[in-house]
Amino acid sequence: MTTLETKPTALPHRLALLARPVGRTGFAVLTGALLAMGLIALQGYAPMPTMLAGLRYALGDAVAVSRTLAWGLPLLVTALGVAFAFRAGMFNIGAEGQLYVGAMAAAIVGAYIGPLFAGLHLLLCLAAAALTGGAVAAGLGWLRAHWGVDEVLSTLLSNYLLVLLCTYLANGPLRDPTRQSGSTREVHDSAMFPVIVDQTQLTAGLYVVAALVLATWWLSERSIAGYRWRMTGSSPGFAAAMGIDIARARVTSMAVSGALCGLGGSLLVTCSQGRFWTEIGTGIGWDAVLLALVGRSRPIGVLAWAGVYCVLRASARGVEQVTGIPSELSSVLIAVIIVAAVARSGAIGLITDWARRWRAVREKQQ
Amino acid sequence: MNAIEAFLASGIRFTTPILLAGLGCLATRWTRDLNVGLEGVMLFGAFFGVVCGYRFESAAVAIVLTSALGAVAGLVFGILVATLRANAFVVGTALNVLAAGATVYLLRTWFGVKGSFGDERIPSLPAVRWGVIGDIPLIGPVLSGQSPLTYLSWLLVAGMAWAVRHTVIVRHLKAGGEHPEALRAAGGNVMRTRIIAQVWCFTLCALAGVQLSLGQLTLFTEGMTSGLGFVALAAVIFCRGNVLLLAVMSVAFGFSSALSVRLNTAVMAPQFAQMLPYAVALVGLIVLSRRSRTADTRILTPSQEN
Repeated sequence: MTTLETKPTALPHRLALLARPVGRTGFAVLTGALLAMGLIALQGYAPMPTMLAGLRYALGDAVAVSRTLAWGLPLLVTALGVAFAFRAGMFNIGAEGQLYVGAMAAAIVGAYIGPLFAGLHLLLCLAAAALTGGAVAAGLGWLRAHWGVDEVLSTLLSNYLLVLLCTYLANGPLRDPTRQSGSTREVHDSAMFPVIVDQTQLTAGLYVVAALVLATWWLSERSIAGYRWRMTGSSPGFAAAMGIDIARARVTSMAVSGALCGLGGSLLVTCSQGRFWTEIGTGIGWDAVLLALVGRSRPIGVLAWAGVYCVLRASARGVEQVTGIPSELSSVLIAVIIVAAVARSGAIGLITDWARRWRAVREKQQ
Repeated sequence: MNAIEAFLASGIRFTTPILLAGLGCLATRWTRDLNVGLEGVMLFGAFFGVVCGYRFESAAVAIVLTSALGAVAGLVFGILVATLRANAFVVGTALNVLAAGATVYLLRTWFGVKGSFGDERIPSLPAVRWGVIGDIPLIGPVLSGQSPLTYLSWLLVAGMAWAVRHTVIVRHLKAGGEHPEALRAAGGNVMRTRIIAQVWCFTLCALAGVQLSLGQLTLFTEGMTSGLGFVALAAVIFCRGNVLLLAVMSVAFGFSSALSVRLNTAVMAPQFAQMLPYAVALVGLIVLSRRSRTADTRILTPSQEN
């Protein structure tokens, strides 16, 4: 009954709800565009045509879109993983390390087991990656839940330990003797996702990622376990009083988060690289943390921001090809965009504050 | 100089950037705006140290200019965090990503090189020798022949330890973090205090970067801080606001870094040796958390709302 009555007003209300995040993102993207134009102009190129050329490279045709998308898939999964833990109040900033061990696990299973049936082998690779990443994160989550070891710092430090461990493995016991150094043996063909758009690296991994996005969203926002995790995140005391085992919620949410980060790493191997090498995912973990922070840990927010970042990054690649402006432009832009996004409400508050004071002063004078 | 003396001297050399960054970050810990962007500021400091050194061919100018640039950047960061109420964790993380990207970007646009930039025109920080002191066995090479920034860092330790007891400014910084209302009631300016802490932090981190690029090497390489800023951050978190404890932690991390460089590859694979400072920090964190019943170690609270 009530649903019938509220239905006519529901749509505008929903639109109004949507308007705020869209406005926020719009402001941030505008800031980024202005900065990009400024930086391009500084290098002596015409801003508008250059940016359009970059955008064409990112989104110009089907091949371009697939290329952009293919690059973004591992980042998206990793960012979702980070956001997942953030929602449960666990600041897992060890995405970089978990991504590396995931990539390493997938590369080991892909190269040393098999060849098997394509589907089974892939499944094993992904499962190995999820298990390793999840185990690492769950361990750190356990330390936080039971011993009170601050997970922000422990996950941060674990990054360096894990990346160095993988570097050791790739240079030492697992090194491919036919290659220079720092990479493992190539995985079997049955451990690679089939390409679905020719001339690009967009593979059937896309479907896996789509399923993962849906599953993560459901698990975090709609399931009972997700409710427990979110309550633990927003108010541990209340959650404990309601009978939720918060230690368990902390460990399990970290496990899921680490598993997603590990899966992100395995996608690097099984979708495009075909082997582990020491620079396989440099910086992706940190990008993922940024995306999770700015997407306010909501799966949809993270998805939107990951999309923005992918287009930005692909455009920067395109700009580099036509002008020689370094593609690191995208890192500069995303950092500034994110700072603009978080400083926006404060800036608006400050300006309205000034305006009010100024008006008050004028009224006094009159 | 025998092996032990060389090791001690290099230990102190490695301590310097950690200590400088830690001392800077300590002020932001007092105001509860812990700056997690140390890594990024150090990287920028290392880069601009090399740029200024290359441009003016003088180490002194490089030090002065880089610290001035650091102070200006700290002012911007402080305004973002204190006045515009942006979350310090988010802005700090963004700063790390920015530094990694921007230094590569500038390296390529200004010098047209990728990877690293070295040139004969880049000055290195001079080694300060103190005559006879350098000849004392064992501690001589530790006390003498270090870079000026090393001496500065230890002077700052003494100065800050003194300032904690005897100056108003440190009390304001601590009050600004612990009890802003009290500070306001006492006539202090909370915003200004928090901004000052960031300016101090950035200035010292920039110097830490200069020590890396001009003190230990005379070149800049991409990502040359390689986690040193995070090690300094760990030191700051462990020290619980105590200056002398911070110095002890920094020395511990500095010596484990020195050890990791000196360890023979026959003893240990280089990657395991490089893990040493991080492993020391992680084990230290676990031990510390086990021993304290308070939640004092948790001070990084990235908030979701802004």
